[in-house]
Amino acid sequence: MKKKILVIDDDINIRDYLVSIFKDNGYKVIIAGNVKEGLSQTKKNTPDLITLDIEMPGEWGPRFYQQLSQDPELKNIPIIVISGLPGHECAVVKAVASFPKPFDREELLKTIKETLN
Amino acid sequence: MAKQILFIDSELKYAKILKTHIERQDYNVTTAACFVQARQALEKPIWDIIIANPFIDVKIVPCLISAKETNSFMQIIILASRGKLETAMDLLGACALQYLESPISNKALDLAITSACKNIAMNQKISRYSEKIVNLHKEHDLLNQLFEEVPCYISVQDKHLRITAANKKFKYHFGNRVGGFCYEIYKHRTSQCSDCPVVKTFHDGKSYCTEEVLTTQLGKQYNVLTQTAPIRDEYGDISQVMEMSTNITQIRELQDHLISLGLMLGSMSHGVKGMLTALDGGIYQLEMGIGQKDNDRIVKAYGQIKLMAGRIKKMALEMLYYTKSRELDYKKINIKDFSQKVVNTIKTSAKNHAITLDISILENLGKFEIDSNWMDAALVSFLENAIDACVLDQDKKKHTIKFTVQKKPKERLCFTIKDNGIGMDTETKNKMFTLFFTSKGSQGTGLGLFIAHKVIGYHGGTVEIESRKGKGSTFDICLPILKPNNIKTPIN
Repeated sequence: MKKKILVIDDDINIRDYLVSIFKDNGYKVIIAGNVKEGLSQTKKNTPDLITLDIEMPGEWGPRFYQQLSQDPELKNIPIIVISGLPGHECAVVKAVASFPKPFDREELLKTIKETLN
Repeated sequence: MAKQILFIDSELKYAKILKTHIERQDYNVTTAACFVQARQALEKPIWDIIIANPFIDVKIVPCLISAKETNSFMQIIILASRGKLETAMDLLGACALQYLESPISNKALDLAITSACKNIAMNQKISRYSEKIVNLHKEHDLLNQLFEEVPCYISVQDKHLRITAANKKFKYHFGNRVGGFCYEIYKHRTSQCSDCPVVKTFHDGKSYCTEEVLTTQLGKQYNVLTQTAPIRDEYGDISQVMEMSTNITQIRELQDHLISLGLMLGSMSHGVKGMLTALDGGIYQLEMGIGQKDNDRIVKAYGQIKLMAGRIKKMALEMLYYTKSRELDYKKINIKDFSQKVVNTIKTSAKNHAITLDISILENLGKFEIDSNWMDAALVSFLENAIDACVLDQDKKKHTIKFTVQKKPKERLCFTIKDNGIGMDTETKNKMFTLFFTSKGSQGTGLGLFIAHKVIGYHGGTVEIESRKGKGSTFDICLPILKPNNIKTPIN
């Protein structure tokens, strides 16, 4: 069964890019453009992994993690931060990895594969 | 030091007796028995008292007057026979202190000399006082000049915070309002400020330094650095406090500008990273499309790369427009073609975000005179702003941007851009054309609408905005159809 990845990013072009990479590598992809949508999609689809942008209109990425971590059934979903913001690697404490934009595609896919296996 | 007395008389015996008597009183006495001796002696400016018989030679009179003019402290006592005293008074007048009849008794001479010595002491005292008064006047003038001309606002305040004195710069910016309350004049307030440095100085006599914002009588606001100092009365009590305020508005403006510049650079750096990531995405799609021979994917990738290249170009141009000064290059342009080109620029972006474009460009609009490069960039910025407003709005299911071009009275052409996006509150509306202001986080640089607004202004145009938070915004951009005659300011 295909693993599900939720992509949370407000930039439609970056979202499309991530969707293509993941689909091309055999993953099922769900998308969200902000924290509110991200939480809704997580509860609805229970993804196996989440990629999270930090700076988004409205609530920022760390707030998504804060709310997710309060749900015992969802709090262990691995999160990978992908952001252009300086200090992104510290933004979500329990993130399995953090990638700066523009990110290294091969490295990102390798991390996802290792995390999901 | 013993007083120097010159005794002028031709009767040597008489002179010798008087000299002996006077020297017993501890005075130094020199005698002169003829005009030549007297003239030589009078040339020396050493005499405190001259006792003279002017009738040994009448030429002695001008010598005495001259000696008195040279040394005003010197006292002259005239000794003459009874019949000649009147004549002596006519000759010397007030130049001499006393006119005594000769021969004179010792007692009368002693009193005359004592009186002369008192006069000398009094005159010297008056002279010292006069000198001090002159110096005081000079110092007062200097202090007054310093107070008036010092390049900061100075006011002196009493315990009720009433201004009792103010310098020239204060009066120039705040009016000649001595007697008014400090807080009324400096801040247009009705009650005293909390944490007032003047009150604190009255309380403990220390000097305090604060940063304040003052409002002049014309309503202009200045950032100032204020320092206080106590003024004490003769008993050492603080009777007044002086407040000195240095205008640091320019420094604060520069500081704000540098902070904005720093924020913008951070924001731009973040924006560029996003664009480069999206460009990577386009290249990836292109590689995959070519590899899979998937034409749709290649076309989509091409669109993506073109879009990102356009955005990077726009950002670079905005930076260029901000940093360089240029003249407008006016040309007559077909209104319909120009408007269509502007709309085409944002069509892809609107489609990507599922925003409906409702275009209304009337036929036969003719031509208008503009710098098309500048105007194109400006209108695209307004349209992109409308797209962003729709993208940010999550409440409405469908979004539409209505773009209308029509002629208005008084030879004006109006572009109306109406969206049903997120809308703006009053604060955002007021700040939207401010340099480096953006409400779009990492997606905006705060340059686009700032430059667009300037472009419209330099073309002699106006921008009117109607907006309601949650409902949407309407921008009415109206321009003169012909180049205005008084265009003078380059865009910078």
